[in-house]
Order: sequence, then structure tokens, then C-alpha cells
Amino acid sequence: MLAGSSLLRIDDLEPGDVEQILHNTDSFVEVLERKVKKVPALRGKTVANIFFEPSTRTKNSFEIAAKRLSADTINFSSSTSSLKKGESITDTINTIIAMKVNLLVIRHGHSGVLNFLSDRIDLPIINAGDGKNQHPTQALLDLYTIRQKFSQVEGLKVGIVGDYLNSRVARSNVDLFQKMGMEVTVVAPSMFLPGDIKVTKARVAGSIDDIIHKVDVLYMLRMQLERQDRKFYPSIREYNRFLSLNSKRMTAMKKNSMVMHPGPVNRGIEISEELMERITTDKQLANKVFIQKQVTHGVAVRMALLYLILS
Amino acid sequence: MEDKKNILIKQARIVDPYLDRDLVSDLFISRGKIEKISGHIEKRDNTEVIEGKQLVVCPGFIDMHVHLRDPGDEMEEDIASGIKAALAGGFTAIACMPNTRPPIDNPYLIDYIKDKAKIHDFSLLPVAAMTKGLKGKQITEMGLLAEHGAVAFSDDGYCVQDSRNMYEIMRYSRQINSLLILHEEDNQFSEGGLVHEGYYSNKFGLEGISPLGEELIIARDIMLAEKTGARIHITHLSSAKSVQLIREAKKNGINISCDVTPHHLYFNHSCLDKLDTNLKVKPPIRDEQDQKALIEGIKDGTIDAVASDHAPHLLEEKNTTLRDAAFGAIGMETSFKASFSKLCIQEKMNLVDLLKLFTLGPAQILKISPPTVKEKQIANLVILDIKSKNKVMPEFISKSSNCPFMGQNLTGQVLYTINNGKLCYKRE
Repeated sequence: MLAGSSLLRIDDLEPGDVEQILHNTDSFVEVLERKVKKVPALRGKTVANIFFEPSTRTKNSFEIAAKRLSADTINFSSSTSSLKKGESITDTINTIIAMKVNLLVIRHGHSGVLNFLSDRIDLPIINAGDGKNQHPTQALLDLYTIRQKFSQVEGLKVGIVGDYLNSRVARSNVDLFQKMGMEVTVVAPSMFLPGDIKVTKARVAGSIDDIIHKVDVLYMLRMQLERQDRKFYPSIREYNRFLSLNSKRMTAMKKNSMVMHPGPVNRGIEISEELMERITTDKQLANKVFIQKQVTHGVAVRMALLYLILS
Repeated sequence: MEDKKNILIKQARIVDPYLDRDLVSDLFISRGKIEKISGHIEKRDNTEVIEGKQLVVCPGFIDMHVHLRDPGDEMEEDIASGIKAALAGGFTAIACMPNTRPPIDNPYLIDYIKDKAKIHDFSLLPVAAMTKGLKGKQITEMGLLAEHGAVAFSDDGYCVQDSRNMYEIMRYSRQINSLLILHEEDNQFSEGGLVHEGYYSNKFGLEGISPLGEELIIARDIMLAEKTGARIHITHLSSAKSVQLIREAKKNGINISCDVTPHHLYFNHSCLDKLDTNLKVKPPIRDEQDQKALIEGIKDGTIDAVASDHAPHLLEEKNTTLRDAAFGAIGMETSFKASFSKLCIQEKMNLVDLLKLFTLGPAQILKISPPTVKEKQIANLVILDIKSKNKVMPEFISKSSNCPFMGQNLTGQVLYTINNGKLCYKRE
């Protein structure tokens, strides 16, 4: 049961919870198709979007999700906050809570910070990304997108390609996909994997060519340039050779397969410029690529979550 | 160079460490391959006959550590002259190190080396840099370099001081299943040093290089290899403790191999008495205990290969004081005879065991097909006179002559080298 609970990591969810979220998402996808894209489900509730790290997509997605449910929103971002004056995170959060909000959506650059906060706060929190740790709503919207295409997700083969080490999306997705019975292979060079690769919980491959013709879902991760403590990877050219998606590789994919990316795409790194351009003109290719769909589903999934927690 | 001719070697002692074979027989080479090995083979037309009585025929040697100075310092050596010098030393395959100008840290440079070697129909195995510009910082495009034909990676001449970087290099090399050839030197112990830190450095007031600098880094890299599973090869070992560390690591199942140079086996630091700059090498030639330990390491199988570390220098780089002289010595043309003189003549080592260090050992390390004297095989062979006593004279096929064995009386001589079925070297 999700009512009144927090969502900090994928492990917080039982398969039944996931089903419930996806089931509700269906309804909200339908709402988003309507002329008037608004329902009164959360009228009188207030959602606080607290972002201690720059974000455009996730922040907007949460805000629009809350507004579509008729909830009020307040937005806080650290660059305009009292944190600069030395106020602690807990103080900041408590100040916002004192404004009688009902739910906190929090993003922060430090892994695990939400566990620290949730021990001190008696209010539901949704993790909108904490450091390199988790991004559960991204995983849920990705799962929803996959399920829309395949209906049955159990047994699907997924390749997650790129900077696993620094990616909260990758961690959440591996957790959720495996929970739902998918076969996950992480494709990453050694410098983008933890020292002990056994802890990745998934199979590991070194080159996209090892998996390209086998996977049902190809999930391209964003190169986390901002999160790499030290840059150990040799070059973009090496990345292109072993990890990037381009037209040639796309052709090698299974007929009924799909390409995903959490966005924004670093053109020429994860996906070649030429392929990105072709996607805009070639319908057949475009049908394989679900990057825009993921964004749309992101709003619906977050609506479902807010609704289930607050109603 | 002789072409398209058949070669018949009569009644030679054929020694093959790979097949563990040692027999007297005739051997016939045609169309590049060993066609027949048999007690008696009739001569055919268009055949060069080599009288093999008293001579040894064995697989072509492999030198896994050579500096060809090409590109950038072709006055010292280039790919063509290096190949000629290699053939004169009995080598039919050599691995060239990447510390050229520019360093071999970019795939197009691997192509350059391979293209140049192709002209000579010679097995030149390029080793690529581990870090860009050999600076020890940014990891090279090891995946691409391996695809272009780098057989291994090394920052030889330098040592990656940053342990975290070395750890990441090892992890990546493990992932792409490549070998790392490691020059082990802690700069804090060697900076400004000229010779081994010991009796002679003290006697002449020369800045010393402590073996600790090598040993500490070897210990570090053994730990990193244990953690990462990387395949590492420690090159030009110089100290007793280094041998001991590797012996232990091998016992503990670490994926490690190592080589030693002929000059570290043949000499100890007493040779410094003459202050000969040709003996200024890195790592330095160390004391008697170290020399003994290296020989012991050869005998008990700790050391897997002999490699020359052939390092050509211009006369003006050596014709100066010990302090100003460059480090390094040429070695391909004297590698076998110096090793044979020391190990087989003085130390009574078996010839087959020595030949292993020149053939099977390096082949296994580099993961190339083992050279062997077998019918239907490409004929890469050396013909040796192991009775011949000769004094090393300042006449070399290499462009450089900074040879530490100059004036030494050595035993054993390469008489012929057959490369891809052709008689490519014949001692005049």
C-alpha cells in the first residue's frame, strides 16, 4: 500500500506496488490525451519540489504532474536558497514543512541523503534523484514505456549501455528490471563499473556489439561528465567505437526491439548525430526510439505516484 | 636477401623447445615452409645447401623488448635497420616499444609501424602506450589500439606513478584482454641517479639508484594485478628482491611474467670500474647478489624470457661523462651469445632451457603462436654455431654501436637466420 509512504529507492517497492503504479499510470496517460488535461484528484494538497541540484526535465515533470492533479506546488532550488547562508538541509526542509505542505519531492547531489532526511521528517518523500544512488521514478517510467510496447516484460533482454558507475538511473533500472524478471546486461568499460563488478547484480559486457543483436531493449545511459571524479575514460572516439549507438548498430538490432535514453542525449556520444537526425525523418527508425515517449510517460507515472501517496 | 630458393640443411642438430625435440637430421625448406625433416634428404634444383654438422637449428628467436626509435629518432635506428639487426641476432619476431617521437599512443601510428614492417616481410609486433604521451595520466584508447594490432601496452622508459591510474589501466587491460609490459620505477628513488646505489656508486661519488624504487612498484603492481586480474609482465628485472616478489606472486596465482636482459645477467656493478657509458642502463646493473638472484630466477623458471631492451643511441649521447650519457644499450646482435656464454658455458645450463627463454617464453607471454621446427610450418629458423668463440668488435648492423659487450670474448654465434622461408641473414 503506497498511501502516505515515501519512495526513496526501488527496493521500497513490492512487485504489487509496481503493478498498482503502472495500472494507475494507464489512467493518467489517458488524462494527458484529453483536451482538458486536468483532474481534481489532489485539490487542496500541496507538493513541494525541492531541488538542491540543477534539473529541468524531472523538476518540470513533477510540477506538471502535480498541477494536472490540481495540487498546489512550491518550488525551491538551492541556488536561490538560504543554504548559501549556512542553513542546514534539515532546517531548510523543516521550514518548507512548516508551510504545511503534504509531500516533498527532493533531488540532491549526495547519494543517500534522503535516508538521512526521512529518518528526521514525518512526511512522504519522493526521491527525484540523489547523487549516484537512485532515481526510482525514472525507472518506473522506463518500465512503463517498456510494458506499453511489450505487454509482458518478464524474460525480456535489456542492455544498459554506458556510465553505470556514476548513474543513478542505471542503478534504479537494474533493480526494477530484475525485480520484474527481465534479463539485464550492463555494457560498460571497466572505468564505468564498480571495482568489484559482481556488485552490479547484472551481467556485464564490454562492448555494445556483444549484445546489440540479442536485446529487446537497448537503454543508452547519459555520459555523466559532471559526476566523474576523475576522467579515466580515454576518448570520445573510443566511446564511439565500443559504446555508441549509430545507424549500423541500429540495423543489427532485433526487429521488434526498442531504444531508450533518459535524456538529454549527448549527441555524438551515446547516440550518433547522424542517427539522431535520421530518427527525425525516418519513420521506421523513429518507431524504435522511445525517448520522447519516456518523457510523456514520466508525467503520467509521477501523477500516479502522487495520487497513490496523497489520496 | 635470397629469394625463391629452396634451402637444405644437412645433418644439423635440431633443437625445438616447443616440441621438446633434440635430434640430428636433414631439413628441407621450400615455398617458405619446412617441407621435410628426415635423416637424409636429397638435394633438388634451385637449392641452397647449408652444411649443418656441428651446428644447431632452432626456432627463430623473439625479442619482446626493443626500441626502434622510429618515428622520431631514425638517426639512432629505424624500422628497416632494426629489422636487419634483429635478423643478425637470430630474431624473426620483435616487439617494439612505444617511447618514440611521437609516442605510439594513437592507432594511426600502429598502422605506420605495421606498414613499414610489411615491406620487410617481418613479424614486427607493436606495443602501444598505456597513457597518452607516456605521461602517466590519461589512459590511451587501448581498445582501438588493440584493434589496430597493438600486441601489448607499456609506458616503457617511464612508470605510471599514480597508483589509482595504474589500477584503472589494469582494469581496462583486463577487460580488453591485453597484456601490460611494465617498467617498474619509483621516480622518488631514481631521480638524478646514474648507477646502482652501492659500493661503486659510493667509490666514484656517482648518484645512486636504489633497487627499492623497482621493488616497491613491483609490489604495488602485484597487488593491483591481484585485485584486477590483469595480465602483467615485468620487464628488465634487476634486483634479487624483485625476483623474489615475482616468484611469490606466481605461487599465489597472479597472472604475472617477467624478463631479464642479457647485460643484467652477464655483468654486475663491478663493471663500473671502467666507467663505460655503454653500461649506463636503466634499471642499472646491480651487485653480485642481484646478478646471482637473476640467474637463479632463470634456473627455477621465475623468469620467463630474455629480452634485449635494445636501446640505440648516437655516439655523442654516449661519448661523454657518465652523468651526461644517455641510458641504454643496444643488444639484439649480442643477446644470444651473451646469454649463452653466461648461462650455458659458465652456469652449465642446458641449451634447450636457454632457447625456451628466446622462443617459447616470449611467445607465450605475447600470446603468439609458438615458434617451432615442424613440417608444414612457416620456416622461421636460426642456425647457430655454439662452439664459435668470438670477440665483440665495434661492427654492428644496427645504426648505433652503444654495445656493453664491446671487447668481450663470447661463445656462440648466429650464422644464418631464415625468415618466412628466406635466408635473410648470413654471417660473412
